[in-house]
Amino acid sequence: MDFRNAWAIAVKDMREVFSSVSIYGPMLAVPLFFAIVLPVLTFYVTIYAAPSVIARISSLPSAPPILQGANAATFMRYFAINVLGPIFLTMPILTSSVISADSFAGEKERKTAEALLATPVKKSELLLGKIMASFIPTIILTVAVFAIYGVVTNAFAMGSFHEYILPTAAWLMMILTSPFLAIVTIGIVVLVSSHVRGVKESQQISTLIILPVLIMPFISILGLASLTVAFFAYVILILAAMALVLFYVSIRTFRKDRML
Amino acid sequence: MRESILLKGVYKRFGKVSALDGVDLSLKKGMSIILGANGAGKSTLLRCIDGLYKVDSGTVKVDGIDPYTDDTVHMKLALLSDNYALYDYLSVKDNLKFFGRLYGLKDSEILERASEVLKELDAYNYIDSKVFTLSRGTKQKVAFCRATINNPSIILLDEPTAFLDANASERIRKYLLRREREGATVLFVTQKIDEVTRFNSKIFVIKKGRIVASADSASLYKSILKNSYINVRLARQISSAKLSKVTGLESTNGSKATYIKVRISSSKDINAVIRELLDAGAEIAGVDYTEPLIEKMSLNGEE
Repeated sequence: MDFRNAWAIAVKDMREVFSSVSIYGPMLAVPLFFAIVLPVLTFYVTIYAAPSVIARISSLPSAPPILQGANAATFMRYFAINVLGPIFLTMPILTSSVISADSFAGEKERKTAEALLATPVKKSELLLGKIMASFIPTIILTVAVFAIYGVVTNAFAMGSFHEYILPTAAWLMMILTSPFLAIVTIGIVVLVSSHVRGVKESQQISTLIILPVLIMPFISILGLASLTVAFFAYVILILAAMALVLFYVSIRTFRKDRML
Repeated sequence: MRESILLKGVYKRFGKVSALDGVDLSLKKGMSIILGANGAGKSTLLRCIDGLYKVDSGTVKVDGIDPYTDDTVHMKLALLSDNYALYDYLSVKDNLKFFGRLYGLKDSEILERASEVLKELDAYNYIDSKVFTLSRGTKQKVAFCRATINNPSIILLDEPTAFLDANASERIRKYLLRREREGATVLFVTQKIDEVTRFNSKIFVIKKGRIVASADSASLYKSILKNSYINVRLARQISSAKLSKVTGLESTNGSKATYIKVRISSSKDINAVIRELLDAGAEIAGVDYTEPLIEKMSLNGEE
């Protein structure tokens, strides 16, 4: 495999995505909006509603022990990780699914695959190039969003509680989960893209991947699971195993003519 | 000399539709043309030769290599498909640099070759333009440049002049003839008989996924001109009375004619008609024939 070919494909795809603000604008705007607005909302919930929210959650039979008699700073730390964290974890899924769907199914939809496949590029180079084209912007965007979210949250926390509440080990593990979520999403889109006609069908699959992530805040509030370092370590292991299986199947089943 | 392109008993189906139905084809260096109507299987045939499609059964070899399983063959193979297949949001230069890099070319080599071809096709001015801003004809010129950026020894073309003006079409033909003289294998498919007859090449007729006849320009003309018409343009008006002696005269565009339609059955009839017109005092500006539908055309030896 010639890595230069894979890199040329990745660069071409990234240049296409970032060549028009109408393509990358919405993809960047929504995560950046949430990165600022959600911590602000968290702060106001903490300031004005923390006691009543803590009381309600604590009344649940399986309420998380950490909230028993928690103060506002503890509540904000809990909320920032257990409730907002999973929402931010949807960013790598959404971003990677949008780019990878465009990267694979887009070639088919715009009928550019024929010229690409007529070059000496190998199947492995093509797959690696397309994966990098989706993975690199996703990780840059995700880290940027988590960083903004951390800075905004800390700014409010410092102002009100005179302490920084982020990062915590669990929060860092959450960031570490992002690349694995992105890679599993890309793997699924790669598998699906060769069987669908266009970008829209290919993107639909991302909704299925987002659902388990969006359940996380509820299972956390209900005390069914705690989003701890160990929890994310298990999630990373499961995602890594899924990614290996997905890419093995993708490479084995990928057929050039399905891109046409 | 080994065949550049060899197909033996090639079948390709899409669902219930049989696109190629037992194609046998053996091509050595030089130019060959596949003539066929829409849906005859021309594009599928090219895609099988290029290794884009896996054939259902049969053998495809390009320079002795299976193009579907061995990508190295693409180093010397080029395909210009009927859609321009360029990245709309990239510039012409970036498109060509991208494809050239996949052939292992340096940027300086890519730009040198691109400028040579684009200048030859009168499209160099657009090198920094985004592809979506270009006209369809210019896109086709750029696509031609992309397809030949690796200086291929085997060139496959699907309707290469479909959206080009006469001048650009002629430049593409000149380029292909030059590459033929340099020893390349050129195979292009078309549905235009006029295009075919501009080359003195081996012609294969494809119908319903089968190669049904092979021909040359002479036998093709024989078939085209059988029970056909020619249209003669006259440089100045001539009275209908003077045209009455023209054999096979079908119609004129008025009592003072500048355009006449004549029934013919062979190339000899065309010469006879021209002599009669000259004898009648006509000044001929041009002669063209009415192309028959390929589906209805029958060549000697057709299966």
